[in-house]
Amino acid sequence: MNNNTKILTFLSMLELSNKKLEKIMEIVEDEEIESPLELADNRNVCEILSADEYHELLKKSDARLVNSLFENLEKDGIIILNKESENYPQALVDLPDAPMLLFCKGDVSLLNQDAISIVGTRMPTNYGKFITEKFAEVLAKAGIVIVSGLAYGVDSLSHRKALEVNGKTIAVLGGGFNHIYPESNTNLANTIAEKGLLISEYPPFAKPTKYTFPRRNRIIAGLSKGVLITEAGRKSGTIHTKEFALDYGRDLFAVPGNVNSSKSELPNLLIKSAQAECVLSGEDILEFYGINISKAEEKKIVSLNMDEQIIINLLKKGEQDFDYLAKNSNLPVNILNSYLTTLEIRGLIKRMPNKTFMLN
Amino acid sequence: MLSKLKSFGLEGIDGFLVEIETDIVGGVPHFEIVGLGDKSVKEAKDRVKSAIRNSGFEYPLKHFTINLAPADVKKEGPIYDLGIAVGILSASEQIKKKNYKDYIFLGELSLDGTIKKVRGVLPMLISARSQGYRRVIIPKENMEEASFIDNIEIYAFSKLTEVVEFLDGLTEENFRVQTKSFEEVALKSVNKLDFENVKGQKMAKRALEIAAAGGHNVLMIGPPGSGKSMLAKCFSGILPNLTFEEALEVTKIHSIAGELDLKQGIITERPFRTPHHTATAISLTGGGVHSKPGEISLAHHGVLFLDEFPEYSRHLIETLRQPLEDGYITVARAQQTITYPASFTLIASMNPCPCGNYGSKDRECTCSPTQIHKYLSKLSGPIMDRIDIHVEVDNITYKELNEENKEEPTAKIKERVDKAREIQLERFKGSKIFNNAKMTVPQTKKYCKLSKECQDLMENAFTNLKLSARAHDRILKVARTIADLDGKEEIEPNHIAEAISYRGLDRKYWSV
Repeated sequence: MNNNTKILTFLSMLELSNKKLEKIMEIVEDEEIESPLELADNRNVCEILSADEYHELLKKSDARLVNSLFENLEKDGIIILNKESENYPQALVDLPDAPMLLFCKGDVSLLNQDAISIVGTRMPTNYGKFITEKFAEVLAKAGIVIVSGLAYGVDSLSHRKALEVNGKTIAVLGGGFNHIYPESNTNLANTIAEKGLLISEYPPFAKPTKYTFPRRNRIIAGLSKGVLITEAGRKSGTIHTKEFALDYGRDLFAVPGNVNSSKSELPNLLIKSAQAECVLSGEDILEFYGINISKAEEKKIVSLNMDEQIIINLLKKGEQDFDYLAKNSNLPVNILNSYLTTLEIRGLIKRMPNKTFMLN
Repeated sequence: MLSKLKSFGLEGIDGFLVEIETDIVGGVPHFEIVGLGDKSVKEAKDRVKSAIRNSGFEYPLKHFTINLAPADVKKEGPIYDLGIAVGILSASEQIKKKNYKDYIFLGELSLDGTIKKVRGVLPMLISARSQGYRRVIIPKENMEEASFIDNIEIYAFSKLTEVVEFLDGLTEENFRVQTKSFEEVALKSVNKLDFENVKGQKMAKRALEIAAAGGHNVLMIGPPGSGKSMLAKCFSGILPNLTFEEALEVTKIHSIAGELDLKQGIITERPFRTPHHTATAISLTGGGVHSKPGEISLAHHGVLFLDEFPEYSRHLIETLRQPLEDGYITVARAQQTITYPASFTLIASMNPCPCGNYGSKDRECTCSPTQIHKYLSKLSGPIMDRIDIHVEVDNITYKELNEENKEEPTAKIKERVDKAREIQLERFKGSKIFNNAKMTVPQTKKYCKLSKECQDLMENAFTNLKLSARAHDRILKVARTIADLDGKEEIEPNHIAEAISYRGLDRKYWSV
């Protein structure tokens, strides 16, 4: 950890604005300040800070406290990057409000690889779940890093799918590593730290707030070549990510949905206003970037018996509920039930809440 | 003068002999009841006094001591009124003959001398019979429930004067209760709700059939108004008929709780209990000041239906664990420890989320992910371990509702269930259990052997469908029941596949 990083990490405890941090860092450069503890004694630094901030600084300028801060960071295996660091993502460097520091857990080399962000509602419909997983699978399998925000719904689905197919994924947090939000995704976060990368611009002890989530969306947008919106409402938080993506000149992709589904409003509107590229499959995105689609994965030839074929044919019309299948396939309930399970085990169909089934 | 006569008391669901000793001596008029009676026993003195006077007898102005022996066991209720009155009348020699010693007296007295119904007559009669007592006098209102007990002479009266006349042999009237046969009464009972009237819901019906056949507990998941309660109510109709022994046991519990339909006497249908989610733990488990069996004991040999399962307090749900495992509940209180039987089939129902519309096709869910998460996490692992079948129930459309096609009637489903139960009775002969759901781990191993094909299927299911480990034995047990319904000796792959489809909650496909 170089000196600048150390000082920045120390200053992260004060929750200063980027502007003030930049000013302080100029002073640090000019006056060759070497230890975080010297800051409080520096006249120029003090002039930048408000009275409250200065008071905080005095309180935190304690050798024991500073040492334990760095010890803890090291113990938790947290890598801290600043703009000069080798692994600091090139994609972020030139952004007007690029994070001064990135706290990372996991494989930092992912930061400079081709990435697509997948974002959307926290409460996707069955359709939304289906397309999110499909897109994540295709992209992750093609070696693209899947970036998202570890929230419920689309975010979690994208991360999980990427991990499932042994792809790469980055989760950008809205708080510090010690405050995973939502808490129930702690396990997912741990797995991502192990097999992918967890990043945050906030130090581990920082709690997420209402304001930090929209802020982290700029990193999600900034890190990636393109942002994919699978399902989101008209007033969804996804709008922030979309705005950042447009500001930063990132490509925007949207998956069309039913016109009457409130969860498809945002993607549909984006397509209508030509702000986003309309994509129907992960391959469309790969094609957009001219990435060769390896056709290695041939469609497995599946052998189905008569009854199974009937079920598949019924599902070709879209998702159907159990009673519909029972009525139209003329199969006894117990037989239909066991066929549905075996078809699902074979990965041909998917079971959704409310005893609904759809083709996979 | 001293007189001694017999009565009975209740401890748990068994009766014990209580001797009522009445001693009258001269002196300042006084009335004392000793022998650990509760408030209503103490108050007997005023009821008895008025009842004796208003029946035309003389209430002697003397010093009485009434002792209820054994003196160290708590006695509850107004059940000893009749015995005390007869004791006083014989001690004051207003009853001439001494044959009252042959009888057991049960009954509450009203101020005008009528004999009123009491709780727990049936269990006391059964205990009295097994302890070798021959003659019992009971209130006329309790006559029906007593009429199924043979090998004991039961006399039913409605007035104190009748009892006195009867004891003195002054009446020609026949007070003896005629015994009835159980089969006769059982035939008359009809279950009002029939599966015939439930449109659609094929998956749920099938799941309930399996549950009835193997004694499995069920969790139904579906939006409000989808017919979960109706399905549950129909469920008791496809359970096998109560045997006489079971019926007696059920009636006993209801008699103690004072919940018996006095006109019908014996309970011939499997009980269906639906405690509300605001119920207290004691109302569910039983116990309390006047120890009474709780809802789970009243559901003994029947169905306990818990609607809106996650709305029940955590504490309440956890109290179900012991009875679900052992088939009885032990209530320990400062005064005494009582065991009530509580072997029931649990049918729980819940919405998929607090608003009920999660996953619905045509209605939008308004819950936040955190709310849904919290809602689902109310179902703790240990309790889910005791529920074998999860099934989803959905709203049916208006079109489906008005379709003409016939649904399968309850009677037909019941036939299949009965057959499967017979197979299980044969299988578990000599062991302590009667159905697949209660199989222990070694028994599961023994009776649920899987072929290579089935094992492969199981393995694939676990890896591909992300089943949790706790699902394994549940699936085996349910598959065993499905095979029994199918009349197959061996469990086949399609049985396993179907059983897997009833593990929805393990699959997490609907967590957010």
